[in-house]
Amino acid sequence: MTTTPTSKKLQRFFSQYKILTLLFAIVVIWAFFGQISDGAFLTPRNFSNLLRQMAITGMLASGMVFIIISGEIDLSVGAMLGLLGGVAAIMDYTYHVPMAVTVATVIVLGVLIGLWNGYLVAYARVPSFIVTLSGFLAFRGILLGITKGTTVPLESPGLVLIGQGYLPIMFGNILAIVVFVLLAVLAFKTRAGRAQHGLAIAPMWQDTAKLAAVAVMIAGFVITLNQYEGIPVPVLVTLIILGVFSFMANKMVFGRRIYSIGSNIEATRLSGVNVRAIKLVVFAIMGLMCAFAGLTTTARLSAASPSAGNLGELDAIASCYIGGASSRGGVGTVYGALIGALIMASLDNGMSMLGVDSFWQMIVKGSILLLAVWVDVVSGAGGDR
Amino acid sequence: MSNYLLDMRGIVKDFNGVKALDGIDLKVQAGEIVGLCGENGAGKSTLMKVLSAVYPHGTWQGEIFWEGKELKAQTIRETEEAGIVIIHQELMLVPQLSVAENIFMGNEITLPGGLMNYAAMYKRAEELMAELKMPDVNVALPVYHYGGGHQQLIEIAKAINKKAKLLILDEPTSSLTKAETAILLDIIRDLKRKNVACVMISHKLDEVAAVCDTVSVIRDGTHVGTRPMSEMDTNEIITMMVGREIKNLFPREEHPIGEVFFEARNVTCLDVNNPARKRVDNISFKLRKGEILGIAGLVGAGRTELAMAIFGCYPGQYQAELWLDGKQIKVTSPRDAVTQGICLVPEDRKRHGIVPLQGVGANITMAVLQDYAKYGSIDAEAEMAQIQKSIARMRIKTATPNLPIKGLSGGNQQKAVLSKMLLPRPKVLILDEPTRGVDVGAKYEIYKLMFELVKDGLSIIMVSSELPEVLGISDRVLVIGEGQLRGDFINDGLTQEQVLTAALGQTAELAA
Repeated sequence: MTTTPTSKKLQRFFSQYKILTLLFAIVVIWAFFGQISDGAFLTPRNFSNLLRQMAITGMLASGMVFIIISGEIDLSVGAMLGLLGGVAAIMDYTYHVPMAVTVATVIVLGVLIGLWNGYLVAYARVPSFIVTLSGFLAFRGILLGITKGTTVPLESPGLVLIGQGYLPIMFGNILAIVVFVLLAVLAFKTRAGRAQHGLAIAPMWQDTAKLAAVAVMIAGFVITLNQYEGIPVPVLVTLIILGVFSFMANKMVFGRRIYSIGSNIEATRLSGVNVRAIKLVVFAIMGLMCAFAGLTTTARLSAASPSAGNLGELDAIASCYIGGASSRGGVGTVYGALIGALIMASLDNGMSMLGVDSFWQMIVKGSILLLAVWVDVVSGAGGDR
Repeated sequence: MSNYLLDMRGIVKDFNGVKALDGIDLKVQAGEIVGLCGENGAGKSTLMKVLSAVYPHGTWQGEIFWEGKELKAQTIRETEEAGIVIIHQELMLVPQLSVAENIFMGNEITLPGGLMNYAAMYKRAEELMAELKMPDVNVALPVYHYGGGHQQLIEIAKAINKKAKLLILDEPTSSLTKAETAILLDIIRDLKRKNVACVMISHKLDEVAAVCDTVSVIRDGTHVGTRPMSEMDTNEIITMMVGREIKNLFPREEHPIGEVFFEARNVTCLDVNNPARKRVDNISFKLRKGEILGIAGLVGAGRTELAMAIFGCYPGQYQAELWLDGKQIKVTSPRDAVTQGICLVPEDRKRHGIVPLQGVGANITMAVLQDYAKYGSIDAEAEMAQIQKSIARMRIKTATPNLPIKGLSGGNQQKAVLSKMLLPRPKVLILDEPTRGVDVGAKYEIYKLMFELVKDGLSIIMVSSELPEVLGISDRVLVIGEGQLRGDFINDGLTQEQVLTAALGQTAELAA
């Protein structure tokens, strides 16, 4: 009898502070690798590398988490990434197209492919698993066709910067201050808004303490990266995506609709919501993220390989689940997905650094995914419906 | 001791203190066909669940004697082995499996090593089909090749194969056409000759009168009476089924009723699985401003389908011409309906009403969220102010507006769904079973609210299975039976008997 309340409390703690559990997991992983690698894992240089490695999976996971929240799946993103990165390299190297045109074309193409997937899922009512499984095969096939199976190098130095560049240190500092001011303004706008509508307002010290914690985190992050070369461009892009997508998920009608579709699409439809249009846009956003990830991958390697992004969809999906998204839809967060991606990248990075065989890496990653979702189910967060 | 096949005595079953069955007796002799009648919610299905051990022995009080011995079954399997087989209203067939595989499901004839002995099963299945006068059925074909009537008979074949001595049929003809019904009734008479007894739960009293030897009527969980069919007619059954007075549970208030404001013409809905069958058959009606129009009828009569067609969400093929405020309107989706000023509070709250994982507040503002947004970005404070207003007005009991709605009681969920559908400021509000699964207090508040709304000039269509509710609240009552409009009454001294007679009335009488 006495065990029930304790386990209930533990359950509630886990589901309420899922973010803390995840951060705790990262601390454990980093401490472990830091210890074993004699601190080599915890240098600013490796931190910078780690984040850059994580950025590509992070971009995919940011789009994927909306797809999973809405109750669908997208298996085609790795192949789509490869195809879009290949198109970028071919335009650049073979046809010498100006960089701006290349980037714009790839982005438009990414959105169009996403819309195509979304149209088939939402309007033609083909299950997303099937639509994107066929994309998984077909997009990779197209890539092999247009590159004739060879690696295509990049020519334009500007394009390479997308993957390998750093933000100048000065800009990094300014950016940190701008972000902090923005968050502070938002917090006080919320207070003013609640006052205007006669709603209860949290005590001032609570908001101040929250902002102080945020300030410490931003400062720590920027200072660490500045000790190496500054904020890597892909990391910056990922952080912007995190900001924009979190705003969409929490503050916009569109975001609210994604959650409500995933939780009960029929009830949402019967409330007069155009559920098909929402799904269409969710897939289009996924396409946009594939374009970003494709450009970054190609730029990072200074070349488009026909195997680029191979199985990238699985890393992205795993990141979402590790980050607390529910496989039954309706639950998930963008920051959770990114933390999931960070956990995956930390494992990859740490084990590579230690020279662990790649077969072990796969086994460990698989086990972590299983463990994360298992804990989630047991803690009752994604439990009954 | 007793020479009855089945003898149920003093069965009492309660759910959390609410008595669903309060001392029911039911006796069946071998080869007897007993009709079990009662209003929606009278306790018929509960009684059959007690008998078939869906509710195991020990979860209810009373005694069941089967072939003279007390039956204390814990599982459905035990009752089936004893020879009691229940066929539910929703058929339990696996459409993708063959007729034979369905008949032998859980009862397969096997070869050593667990291999299916298809030859033996097909042979036996063909014998059964012949016995049921369906020799044309190909027992190797998947069940979905066959229509509702055949499927019903396949269920019966399954029961016969289990050597059933007592067959319980729950609304067996509710999804059948007239011709299919006739065949089924013949089969039941045939089984009687083979000494198989049958309890038939049915709202279709003409069918009960046609096949049953005895009729048992229950009402509000109590046994009203059991009499041979030869001594009574359908009108007497109706009187026995109703026989209660409406107490003042309904806070009826006077309100002015205006001109005709909304009109639906020629609404027809085809069954999703069996398009030959019309769930709603050419119904037209008018609704006045400030009027509460009750739609009565038995379960499966087509009331919900009618409501869905008006709201633009009937899943199958349908047609409906709608006029609102003198102009014809086009409604092809719930979105059209809401924009035009028609809102629906659906019958199945769990499936169609709530978004379980979202907060009470997010559920309430779901239909009008865009009104609180600028460039797609929600003004969370303005939204929250509205949410708190709605929660206060409906007296929704919730810890915080952000609590996921699945944690609320049925009544509070219903109030939240109602609030959601009031925010778009509808002109016509359709309430499908607005008080189902709602406690008495919340019911009263919902009725109060309905009168408040009609005083503000809203028109309400209320679909309800509870006759006292229909009579206690409505200004006018439409009665629907088997998809057709069977009556349109001004609710002035209207009685339950009149409504029930219209609902059960044979089509032949209407045609005459």
